Amino acid sequence: MGKYILKRIGYMFVVLLILSFLMYLIYNLVPNNRAYTDARSEYQSQARGQNANLLDFDEIYLKYQRQYGTETNNLAIRYLRWVGVYPLYDGSYNGLLQGNFGYSYEYKKDVIEVIGAPMKNTIFINIFATILALAITIPLGIICAVKKGSKGDQAMQVVTILGYSLPTFLFAILGIWIFCSLLGIFPPSGMKTPGSNYTGWKYFIDRLYYISLPLIVMTFCSLGSMTRYVRASMIDALSMDCIRTARAKGVREKAVIYSHAWRNALIPVVTLVVGWFLGIFAGSLIFEQMFGLNGMGDLMISSLRKADFDVVMLVQMFYVIMSLLGNLIIDIVYGLVDPRVRVNK
Amino acid sequence: MANKNNQNNNREKRGFFETIGGWCRRLFFGGANEYARESEEAKKKAATDDSEDIVSPGKQVVRKFFSRKLAVGALCVVIAMFILVIVGPMLMPKYTDSYTEVTQRSVPPGFNMMSVPSELKNDIKMIDSYGSFTVGLSNSGKVYVWGQGGISTTGLDMKDIPEEILNANIVMIAAGIDHAIAIDENGKIYGWGYNRFGQYGWSEEFESNPNIATMPLELYENGIDVSQIKKLACGNQCTAILMQDGTLYIWGNRHAYANLDSFLRGLKFKDISFTLNYVVAVPERGNGIYTGTRGLYEYARTNIGGEAVAMTDFLDGRKIESIVSTTTSICMVLDDGSVALTGDFTLDALPIPDLQEGEYFIPETIGAGTYHFSGITNLGNVYSWGRDTLNQASVPKNTDGATKLYVGAFQNYAVDDNDDLVAKWGLKGYLFGTDTYGADIFQRIINGGAMTMTVGAVAVIISSIIGIIIGCVSGYFGGKVDIALMRITEIVNAIPFLPFALILSAILSQVSMSSNMRILILMCILGVLTWTGLARLVRGQVLSSRESEYVAAAKAMGVKESRIAFKHILPNIMSVILVSLTLNFATCMLTEASFSYLGFGVPYPQPSWGNMLNGANNATVITNYWWQWVFTALFLSITTICINIVGDALRDVMDPKSNTKE
Repeated sequence: MGKYILKRIGYMFVVLLILSFLMYLIYNLVPNNRAYTDARSEYQSQARGQNANLLDFDEIYLKYQRQYGTETNNLAIRYLRWVGVYPLYDGSYNGLLQGNFGYSYEYKKDVIEVIGAPMKNTIFINIFATILALAITIPLGIICAVKKGSKGDQAMQVVTILGYSLPTFLFAILGIWIFCSLLGIFPPSGMKTPGSNYTGWKYFIDRLYYISLPLIVMTFCSLGSMTRYVRASMIDALSMDCIRTARAKGVREKAVIYSHAWRNALIPVVTLVVGWFLGIFAGSLIFEQMFGLNGMGDLMISSLRKADFDVVMLVQMFYVIMSLLGNLIIDIVYGLVDPRVRVNK
Repeated sequence: MANKNNQNNNREKRGFFETIGGWCRRLFFGGANEYARESEEAKKKAATDDSEDIVSPGKQVVRKFFSRKLAVGALCVVIAMFILVIVGPMLMPKYTDSYTEVTQRSVPPGFNMMSVPSELKNDIKMIDSYGSFTVGLSNSGKVYVWGQGGISTTGLDMKDIPEEILNANIVMIAAGIDHAIAIDENGKIYGWGYNRFGQYGWSEEFESNPNIATMPLELYENGIDVSQIKKLACGNQCTAILMQDGTLYIWGNRHAYANLDSFLRGLKFKDISFTLNYVVAVPERGNGIYTGTRGLYEYARTNIGGEAVAMTDFLDGRKIESIVSTTTSICMVLDDGSVALTGDFTLDALPIPDLQEGEYFIPETIGAGTYHFSGITNLGNVYSWGRDTLNQASVPKNTDGATKLYVGAFQNYAVDDNDDLVAKWGLKGYLFGTDTYGADIFQRIINGGAMTMTVGAVAVIISSIIGIIIGCVSGYFGGKVDIALMRITEIVNAIPFLPFALILSAILSQVSMSSNMRILILMCILGVLTWTGLARLVRGQVLSSRESEYVAAAKAMGVKESRIAFKHILPNIMSVILVSLTLNFATCMLTEASFSYLGFGVPYPQPSWGNMLNGANNATVITNYWWQWVFTALFLSITTICINIVGDALRDVMDPKSNTKE
């Protein structure tokens, strides 16, 4: 098992390398040249004070190019420098590995400082939504599977089809319309009461008040596919021979469902939960944008609009790493629950 | 005999969906076949009720599918949607993507814009409109308002006419874009509607606001001499009163009309009118159009499409008597009785019809809407000219007896000598309302559907082609090829889809390219990032069917490997592909919608169901302008729901395991 996990981790790093190179290529498509902008501004500020003839723009430009490691046209070298494993012109290393994640022109800060708060928010919201959704979908899926074909099950089938046929932003629109416009229970956007400076318990309640509508909508969105999946795997599990044996032995129905069948159904469900959790991460992009939550998705979209690509790059890295970590966890869980996987590879 | 009875009973019991299912079946397989099959089936059933007849798998699938009412209904809806978005645009020749209309922004759905109140129909003194509502005045001095009176998000409704106006004996009335002015017999001036920009009334606050030309205080307090009023006109947040002696009172929003100040200098005029951005007037000498600005309305022509001639040359001593104006153009009546035009006309504008010898327009009847003019000739003929986008220039046949004409915005009302309404034509309203740019949402939905579906379909086709090829090759050849291809699949699968596609789309949009190119690239991005699921599915299916006997037989006969993969194995996994195609189609449509909703997909003037929802991203729009998202969202969701139902049914029907369940 240890060997298998190591293998998967190694594989994950290879994929990360490839993806980061891909992203660097895309990043290079962007028509922005940091060395040139910086050199330009320095040239102009100096030219104001001194005799402009004494200054050579190309020299300043080259200085900045060397500082940022872009004086060469060789993409591979530039990429390696960006990662931080190839020395810059002066022999030092300054890349991702050294903690240099880029500079945000929009916020006039290092990207790493910009990204801290949104990351916390996003992770908090997503974990909360996942727990909520699981607490609803799993019992619902089990009940639907046990009472397969009943009126309630058929109704749920229709509801879940709605759940995965509608675009997520539509649920957000409906949520705002129902809860904010018609009922007036929740505020339509924001993270906290404007101008408030609560601390402790009050802060938490205020935050919860603002975050509940996005949470409700996000949870509702994920109900559709998850309920269907739990139901399907539960139906498969209920038709297994061991269930028939258990029933023949006279085990109570409750024990049959929750202990025998559910354990079998759990295998595909567990693997799905991880993947679905990642899906929520990417999907929360739209919700953050709509509800004005200060999260990674919101940051990414606003940076995209302002062409602040260093930020976009790091947010993208965050998503990629989350996705890869998720895949790794899926693989490990697979290996844990299904011995065949370990033997095969 | 018994058989026949049985059959009849069956027929009677058929439900609605089964009937439609029958129609569809007959559509594809021919009616005679169907009937023969049915009667044979009935015979067989009667003979051996307990044994099933043997049918080919394909037929069985089709039969099973059509026995599902919900699925057949959904299929019908999907087909209807397809037909609607393909045929619909052909029925709307006047539609253009970039159509906008300032005076018709965010109009709610309804068809009451031309419904004259029944009490007014036989007692019309005056009708006027500029925006989405119309004001009418009866001979007894009573004011009526119809049309869409709600003014943006202010909560004001023009239909709530103030008590004092209802009680007064009004003699003159005019409507602006968001306010209306009425003058009673004693000369008191009333206003109602929106007055944030000094549209009516007087206050200290208006006086101190540099953007407002305030209503003169003496008019507000002492009223005006009604008998001396020559013309009362309202424009976009502005009002003008012209007196017989040429004195002009004008007030309103300086931002709405940049040249407003030129008219506050005490100059005297013969006539005045409002275009969308300029106040235009005829100076006392009648030798041109006064705007206070150079370079406007300096050329005139006799008809739309005619040669433009410099104003002084054109007039050649003649004088302008009166004018009426649309948003961009002016129709002038000259002192020799002829009609001339100045300003800009679009290519689709209808020209002034050729008049008979001795026929001329009666100057008082000529009126102007937002884009068109109408007038009555001395022979009693009614003509409209200018743009006809909303049928405002399509004159009906029965206008006999019309002697007066009231024209405003997109409506025309012809009235006879007894003040009875003879005919009305123009815009009744909008089925689904208008968007924030003033375009008809219904037309945009019909025209945008094709875009959404095309993007979805092309993306699915791209992803399916990649997925099928990679899945087939990797499943069939196995070994190193399989390992390599599956690693690539995993890498692509590890890319977080939405953020990645957003970045690609945003970066590519920085490169200047046509919007069609952008949409094509969007389709490619969607296709290239979504093939992994299908590739895995196909690979699994190929792996299992590779071991089957017919492949072994084909190999033994020496058939080429590529031929086996694509000609023998592929048809057998077609069912899986078909199901995933259907479901992916809906997913891709949704993805396009999400993209366009975020503003990274189909760019604005081109409609798609996604970017039409783009405006609905804040509580104000969602609450106040519900029609701007409800209808579009309904179309989008009904289509995707139905596609998903069809896909689900197909999967159930094609799954061999489910055969035993029924």
